[in-house]
Amino acid sequence: MAPRLVVLSLASDFGCQVQLTNMTEELLDVLGLVDLSYWQLATSGHMPDDYDVAIVEGAVTTDEHVDLLLRVRETAAVVIAIGACANIGGIPAIAGLSDLDDRYAVVYGAGEAVAKGRRTPLPLDAFVKVDYHVHGCPIDTSEFLRVLSGVLLGLSDRVPDMTMCASCKTQETVCFYDHGEMCLGLVTRAGCGARCPSLGRACTGCRGIAPDANLASARQIAVRSGRPVGELDNALLIYNAAKEVRV
Amino acid sequence: MARLTIEHVARIEGHGNITVDVTDGIVRDIRMDIVEPARFFESMVVGRRFDDAPLITSRICGICSPNHVITSIKALEAALGVEVSERTKLLRKLLVYGSYLQNHATHLYILAAPDYVGLPNVFPLAVSHPEIVERALRLKKLGNDLTTLVGGRPVHPVTAVVGGFTSEPDLRDLAAYRDLLLGVAGDALATVELFASFPVPDFSSAGEMLALVADDDYAIYDGDTAALDAGWRRPAAEYREFIGETVVGHSNAKHSTVGGRPFLVGSVARMNLSAARLNDAGRAAFAASGVTLPTRNPFHANVLQAVELADASARCAGYIERLLEMGGTSAPQPFKIRAGAGGSATEAPRGTLYHSYAVDDDGLITHGDVITPTAQNLANIEADMRDFAPTIADRPAEEFTLLIEELVRAYDPCLSCAVH
Repeated sequence: MAPRLVVLSLASDFGCQVQLTNMTEELLDVLGLVDLSYWQLATSGHMPDDYDVAIVEGAVTTDEHVDLLLRVRETAAVVIAIGACANIGGIPAIAGLSDLDDRYAVVYGAGEAVAKGRRTPLPLDAFVKVDYHVHGCPIDTSEFLRVLSGVLLGLSDRVPDMTMCASCKTQETVCFYDHGEMCLGLVTRAGCGARCPSLGRACTGCRGIAPDANLASARQIAVRSGRPVGELDNALLIYNAAKEVRV
Repeated sequence: MARLTIEHVARIEGHGNITVDVTDGIVRDIRMDIVEPARFFESMVVGRRFDDAPLITSRICGICSPNHVITSIKALEAALGVEVSERTKLLRKLLVYGSYLQNHATHLYILAAPDYVGLPNVFPLAVSHPEIVERALRLKKLGNDLTTLVGGRPVHPVTAVVGGFTSEPDLRDLAAYRDLLLGVAGDALATVELFASFPVPDFSSAGEMLALVADDDYAIYDGDTAALDAGWRRPAAEYREFIGETVVGHSNAKHSTVGGRPFLVGSVARMNLSAARLNDAGRAAFAASGVTLPTRNPFHANVLQAVELADASARCAGYIERLLEMGGTSAPQPFKIRAGAGGSATEAPRGTLYHSYAVDDDGLITHGDVITPTAQNLANIEADMRDFAPTIADRPAEEFTLLIEELVRAYDPCLSCAVH
């Protein structure tokens, strides 16, 4: 029997799911291999009680998300986290850097919206074990297909541990620090082919901090290239704010 | 008597529930509960550097991210007094239109069409009507490829920055896309004909209609805001003076009104206000749509999005033609960081999108504000449901539910945008 897949989203911009719709052609190819049981964005119908693989986008920002995620983990044999929000907290986690009630007041004033049970935004693995990780904001479709194929073949999760600098070196992209610009590729997890630097845009760190990253040394390089002290860490907060909150 | 509760409405972007209760011809309850959680974007940008804002706020929505990037950049340029080149403006238009092609094709074929052929999703169509699905995928792919060509990737483009672009497409690639865009004229027209063939309810929305307008353009990238009924036209950057927002208890998205009235944004409003600015391809497509203007029927949003596909593909081919001939540069313009405030708007696929910011002397953001198209539409969606539901209350339950969902889906709601 084909494995039954569900696609869910917590707090997110749906960008990773949009990337999934962007591979409709490939999805039609694998439809025989998987049973797409529930996908709110693309199809009518209710979420089934039983399924094999859960693909989860978004950060956990409410009590309801926690309940749903625990239920999903209990049901699914495999949980795949897609995107920066689900894997590292991503941009929603910026809200966790200060009091949520204050932020609520900035956005809603004294009005009472339904935002009940709100909590500090965190990635999935703060609550459950995640079996496969597809990083990026948004995910890259070919990387997702590679991981999904791995799931179907029973391969283990293989995420690069190294930083992005190696990718720029092999592509002969001139280092941003050579002309005094800050770039987070120094410490960010490789695997995207250093797409942004190859387009003249410094890495903004959407794939999270690499296990191999040497932060202390990166800070030194940044300062030596003329960047203000603290700038690198401040830039890292855009995607990695959850790391601060969890410590 | 007709009652329904739909939890997690399918085939819309985000999490929303609908409650409708019509008893003895009287509407007892109509609600669109927006349960999509708030991420507090306006608070996130405060204290960050100005150039973090397009990166952060584009994560409001992965569906119309090119619009968020460009609107945010334009608002910051207004605040900082940055002028950009004609070349940059044309490339930005291509980026936004790439998003249009992608969004409209997705909304029409993947999200809306299944309703009209009695299917739960688009996948069975691939077997029964492969030519329709192939056409959908061609249009969607062209939009994605155009956004990727100019922006570096289809979702959350990276090359557009305050002042210009960090890199520009190769001229040969641009020329190839001009031909591809001209090549989808048939697909766009066939999309108009398909949606013109789907019967839609004869319904009239009571809401005002707002869209950007420009003297010489079907306004997408820039323009003033115009109101159809009230007849006024005002600078879009003054949006806070004409759009009122209120917090409502059943929705994490605020509701908007203009002059105390709910209003509609999107393809229906745009076509009512800018049909005279359509190009030849757009005019031919409009003639095939079967719609007479002005229209107050929100169900016409689908076929009018299809008309925009025809206009957009020819328009973008023209932009590329000019880019190939004009020369000049899109490299980021140098500018001085200074304190200031500014607002801007673009037409996103679902309607007008407004951003505004204030920055201090160091370029740090002190205030940020965003009003998205769906947030503007929500009060009107509820008002329409309130007027529409009693007229169909005698239909069988399943049909009643489908018609209510069709109405909501015609607005192409994006709830992650609406709440943000």
